Amino acid sequence: MDLPIYYTRAEYIETDTGNKVSRRATISGPQNIILGGKTIIASGAIIRGDLRRTGPGHAVVISLGRYCLIGEGCVMRPPYKTYRGNFNYYPMKIGDHVHIGANSIVEAATIGNHVEIGKNCIIGKFTIIKDCAKIADNTVIPPNTVVPALALFAGSPGRFVEDLPESTPEMVEAQTKQYYTRFQPLPQER
Amino acid sequence: MAPKIEYYCPCLAESPYPPPPHLASSSYSFHALHNLFFCEECDAVRCNRCVLVEVSGYYCPNCLFEVPSASVRAEKNRCARNCFLCPNCRNTLTVVPSDPPEDVDSRMSPIVSTTLGEPPFFLYCNHCRWDSAEVDITFEKPTGLAAQLQKFEDSAPESLEFERLKEHFEPFLRASSSSTALPSASSHHVHTNPITAAASSALARDIPGVGKYNPLSRSRIGRDKAAHRQEYPDYKSRVEVGHAAALSGEVDVELLRHLETVGEVASLEQRWSNSWVTPLRASDLKPLRIPLQSKKSKRCPSCRHILIKPEQKAQSTRFKIKLVAANYLPAIAVTLPHAQAALEMMKRSSAKSVSAAAAAEEQQTAGALIAGHSYSFHLAFTNPLYDPIQIRLAKAVVPAHMTEDAEAAERARRSTFQIQLPSAAFPVGAFAEAWEYDDEDEDMFLDEDGVELLDARGKKGKDGRGKSRSVGIVDKRANVTIVSGEVLIPKEARGDVKFNMLVSYTYRSDDPEPSEEVEVGTPSRSHGTNKAPEMKNFSFYTVVDLGSIMYREEPKLTADL
Ligand SMILES: [Zn+2]
Ligand SMILES: [Zn+2]
Ligand SMILES: [Zn+2]
Ligand SMILES: [Zn+2]
Repeated sequence: MDLPIYYTRAEYIETDTGNKVSRRATISGPQNIILGGKTIIASGAIIRGDLRRTGPGHAVVISLGRYCLIGEGCVMRPPYKTYRGNFNYYPMKIGDHVHIGANSIVEAATIGNHVEIGKNCIIGKFTIIKDCAKIADNTVIPPNTVVPALALFAGSPGRFVEDLPESTPEMVEAQTKQYYTRFQPLPQER
Repeated sequence: MAPKIEYYCPCLAESPYPPPPHLASSSYSFHALHNLFFCEECDAVRCNRCVLVEVSGYYCPNCLFEVPSASVRAEKNRCARNCFLCPNCRNTLTVVPSDPPEDVDSRMSPIVSTTLGEPPFFLYCNHCRWDSAEVDITFEKPTGLAAQLQKFEDSAPESLEFERLKEHFEPFLRASSSSTALPSASSHHVHTNPITAAASSALARDIPGVGKYNPLSRSRIGRDKAAHRQEYPDYKSRVEVGHAAALSGEVDVELLRHLETVGEVASLEQRWSNSWVTPLRASDLKPLRIPLQSKKSKRCPSCRHILIKPEQKAQSTRFKIKLVAANYLPAIAVTLPHAQAALEMMKRSSAKSVSAAAAAEEQQTAGALIAGHSYSFHLAFTNPLYDPIQIRLAKAVVPAHMTEDAEAAERARRSTFQIQLPSAAFPVGAFAEAWEYDDEDEDMFLDEDGVELLDARGKKGKDGRGKSRSVGIVDKRANVTIVSGEVLIPKEARGDVKFNMLVSYTYRSDDPEPSEEVEVGTPSRSHGTNKAPEMKNFSFYTVVDLGSIMYREEPKLTADL
């Protein structure tokens, strides 16, 4: 029903699990990043998997679930703080069916499932966004904010606006799956 | 704007007809499908405007603590843990110690551990940098702050006055709740709570001639109350109103005389919705304990059956009961093929990443409806039921009283658009779980019913007076059927192409009811027993909005879009 969203085949790398990652995105420290499958990283996005907790060994810095979208020009950066005199980065965990609009900056600690974040948002350090919440376009969520489940937040600082409908999980799931289906190579390249 | 469709909820109105779509007020009666509920008992659509809402649990939106209803009252609907709102910007405040941060890095970041540090502690806003030391609120320990703040709140003159009012009305409330016990038991449909009763009674006493609000039996209850009301003494306030006003008035004048910036005066929002006391000066605003939020159950307004019942856990997005209309009525999506075709061409040629804003703008011009042309539109029906359904469409009937002046009606008819919908019923395939997981959805499930398809694309060629345009099924696959309709816009037409459409569908009923009750039942996802299938019918109104009519001097430019 909805129109396809085309991309040029040369720009995107498709993984075995169906993740589509733009060659024009900056993926730092890819060994510290987990993509759940069928997740799209758009052009110009920056994902800082290199900002990891100090110490030996391998650590997951940013994990994304299935059917996520990191929009054009987004910056995903793990949160940091100085605790007992030690500066450290902390991991960022993002659930399934999470869409992040273009040019948003995300430093959240956790984002649940079925979460929609609009364009041009700033999601402050250690923010916790629960399931099925929605952040409107151009919202600034200050550090340490908790966004409860099924809540719409907007403004600067982001505040509660209204409860989202009970059918939000199904709607967001359908939309994110549909988006993945619509996101396809130009027809002349197929 | 993209074309859209919304569903009608009659909200228990007596007239079966939806309001005419050109009335601005009609927007209150139409809703997106995902916002609607469905009562199986009444076999009717319900919306958020008409359902009965009950609180099923309280929680703090910041610490997410589930507050037992017993403590909600004592804690005045606010969080009793360490959750506070900035009185200036409404951000959540952080508790910080007063010792300075050790290194440069953490001074730049206001995130400071609360487990360490030196007293006194204060509340700090990491958005606008307000801190509670500005209003002389500091704490010796970083714990139990809410209890300390509540002490401030409770000792405010406003709070004490309110307590006194409550005390005064207490016996009255008790009496009125016992007197309303009888009528409310006899009819459970309309529930008058004692507070409403007390308020309306007080209003009736103060303003002669105002009837008491009582939807049941106005006069009878009014008389009951009249008998009681003399027994209560007049209220005496703690502070004489005139005296208090005179006092604060002079202070206010003095303040205003020395104002330098507007920001010194607290905004209405800061004062009234964001503060317990209502100070005039922004610098007097106090931090607030965060108001609790609630999880809500929803009931049918007519039969009181539960439509929505959330799970106990505050942050769960699951529901014990969730009767949403999307599981009963077909979902409908409306598109304008000429607009889509234009957009598709644009996207392909200009290759990748057209910015979303630009695309939306382009869509607006490409998808314009120009006076003097006719266009086809597509309606895609998605069946949520496990059985196939048959759908029939009709333009909404306009009630007779709205078209009394025949001549005016004819004149109106000539200058408004004409809509053609497929007249025959068409099938929509059954919903199957498997399709949900088939992301590619490449297979075409055609013609199991021997449906003839129109050529979906071939019709956009002739843009003239819509000669070879057809109305009927365009595509049918899985549980989706797309039909096409047509709109003819006369040269003199203006405004929005917006019309009410009646959708009727027949489905197999599983109701074990006796077959005398024909024609009404409840569409249901559950599979039936081994009884012979019984066909039932359900109808609902929608409003289809195809967009506004554009008027152009030179239609030739657009003719070959
Ligand atoms: Zn309603
Ligand atoms: Zn709290
Ligand atoms: Zn603030
Ligand atoms: Zn009902």
